[in-house]
Amino acid sequence: MLNPKSKSFSTRLSLNVLLIVTILFVIVLGIVAVSSHMLISDEAKRSASNMLRATILDVEKTLQTVESTVKDASWLAKENDKDEKYLYHITRKVVEENSYIIGSAIAFDSCYFEGRHFFSPYSYEDAETGELKSKELGSETNDYFTQEWYTEPKNTGNPHWSEPYFDAGGGEQMMTTYSYPLKDSTGRIYAIITADISLDWLSEKVSAIHPYEHSQTILISAQGRFLTSGSEFNLAGESAIEVADTLFNGSLMEISRNMVAGDSGTMRFSTRRGLAFAVYAPLANGWSMSITCQYREVLERTSQMHLVLIIVGLLGLLIMFIICYRIIKKLTKPIKEFSVSALNIANGDFHTQLPEVKSKDEILTLRDSLAFMQQSLVTYLEQIETATSAKKRMETQLYIGQKIQEGMLPKNFPNDSRCALNAKVIPAKEVGGDLYDFTIYNNHLYFSVGDVSGKGVPAAFVMAITRVMCHLFADLGLPAKDVVTRINNSVAKNNEANMFVTLFVGCIDLETKKMEFCNAGHNPIIVIPPDGNPYYLKANPNMAVGVWGGFDYKGENLDLRHGTKLLLYTDGVTEAEKSDKEQFGEERLLQLASTPEFRNLNSDEMVSAVHNAVTDFASGNEQNDDITIFAITI
Amino acid sequence: MEVKIENTGTQTLVVLKGRLDTTTADKFMQDITPLMQGDNPDIEMDCAGLEYTSSQGLRMFLMLQKSVTSRKGNLVLKDMKPNVKEVFDITGFSNIIKIV
Repeated sequence: MLNPKSKSFSTRLSLNVLLIVTILFVIVLGIVAVSSHMLISDEAKRSASNMLRATILDVEKTLQTVESTVKDASWLAKENDKDEKYLYHITRKVVEENSYIIGSAIAFDSCYFEGRHFFSPYSYEDAETGELKSKELGSETNDYFTQEWYTEPKNTGNPHWSEPYFDAGGGEQMMTTYSYPLKDSTGRIYAIITADISLDWLSEKVSAIHPYEHSQTILISAQGRFLTSGSEFNLAGESAIEVADTLFNGSLMEISRNMVAGDSGTMRFSTRRGLAFAVYAPLANGWSMSITCQYREVLERTSQMHLVLIIVGLLGLLIMFIICYRIIKKLTKPIKEFSVSALNIANGDFHTQLPEVKSKDEILTLRDSLAFMQQSLVTYLEQIETATSAKKRMETQLYIGQKIQEGMLPKNFPNDSRCALNAKVIPAKEVGGDLYDFTIYNNHLYFSVGDVSGKGVPAAFVMAITRVMCHLFADLGLPAKDVVTRINNSVAKNNEANMFVTLFVGCIDLETKKMEFCNAGHNPIIVIPPDGNPYYLKANPNMAVGVWGGFDYKGENLDLRHGTKLLLYTDGVTEAEKSDKEQFGEERLLQLASTPEFRNLNSDEMVSAVHNAVTDFASGNEQNDDITIFAITI
Repeated sequence: MEVKIENTGTQTLVVLKGRLDTTTADKFMQDITPLMQGDNPDIEMDCAGLEYTSSQGLRMFLMLQKSVTSRKGNLVLKDMKPNVKEVFDITGFSNIIKIV
């Protein structure tokens, strides 16, 4: 019966298939996700690098125009280095000439121009009005001799881009300055000509470059200071390494160091918004530029793709499960029906209808097997019924046979003062092969005991014939040996089955107590004299009856006395066995007969005593052979 | 009950071992059936291992003896234990079966 709590076969199978396919789907999805992430990331890095390179070229070109403007102006300044008015004109021209330049100065050495300590014509765009103004840059409060844009080219003799700084007293804003030294014929530097670039402008130009919404492009100086402001905080002029240090961001710090060292590369790092990567490369003037991109933005499209993939996959799995379940349920439907059929068969309905099977597979084989089983069960049951009724009939007949056989043996023991008899046959099966007989003919007591070889019905037939013949020939008054001889000749004739009988026939003259007897292969009888020890009567064994037709049986004689007892038996007594195969034996029987109690028993009691002794000895072990006990007292 | 049959060409040697009683008689009958046919009827039976025989067993020896005689052969039972020999003597079977 199907347990209502347990899942059906189709559900379990479908779930298993679903589980396996889901695992495969997840694995495939994982591989797709990882590889597409790698692919997209690489692509993003490559495109960011390209963009970086292009921007660097663009910025470098702009810076070069600034540098060449300054170089051109330096040549004019050299030519007119005594003409104050013209020098102012040059600075104004520089600012006018190049739209990137917001200010320009020609700063002379102390006392070079007309003995002035400070002489530095300066023109600049007013930060508020955009108007071009000119003024003397140097003053007590604005000592340009200490400023980097002056000291650096002065010391090295090379043009120089300054670190970002706030130009107080000049342009009044964050800027970087390009300085170019003017040398006299001896090579001595006597003045520095400069051009200022607004960091706001640089920031604007550079921050326009962002491949993704939250990407940032920054430019840092040779010393690692921000030339561009960040998108959220104005970091212009701050040291990148220090900023990274305050953020406790090791990767960012490493990127900053690499940029300061003039290296180029790509590196990933973590930000407030998540994981990001930066591509960075140096500019020709020692600056460095980087573009940072958030992975989340880079992978946004693939994430969307994955979501679609997952939804489609889940839908597919659901559809697969439903179809799978339907198919399996349909395929296994006959099994469910078969279980009902099998239960019906088990309950005894052998003709229950089996479900129809159209497919030619194991299910059909199962149906055929069940059908065959039904047929076999019906056949077997019929056979068993036939066999049972046959057995019953046989048992009945055997019972009748047993009754007939019992009736055949004489029960009415003679009520004669000269002799007392008692006998008993206990067959091993329903019918047996043991026999006894007695008759008194003309003052002669004829008695016999016999054992047909084998047991059961065949033995019973021979027993019946033998017992009848014993009685008939005794009533003819023949000597014992002639009785045996006649029986032998009769039985030996047509004895196809080779049955034989061991037979003892005795004849006692009740007047004289003389006994004439003939032993045809039977166990020796026990003689118990009234005043002596019991003994086995040794006799000529002759030959068992039925073996040899025409055998010449010899008779013998023994004188008995009043009070003598005879004990006759068949081998069922002496060969009765215990469970360990030990036999009762002739010796034990003789010992029993020798006890004083036994000697005082009458014939009835003797038979019972021997039977009890044998039963006690066998102690429940199955009786193998028919038992006959026959006691005579004269 | 074990029956070992060995053919030496002119004679058949049979070795018996165990008890020949009601429970083993049918098996014994099957075992000696081959001895009741064929043209090699001289049989020597080693009965040293035969512990006991019932009257049913005797019947089988009788059948074998008759079969051997009809084929003009000889049956000899050897080394029989006294208790078994006694059964043959009592029933007179010693007179028709050769026991040495």
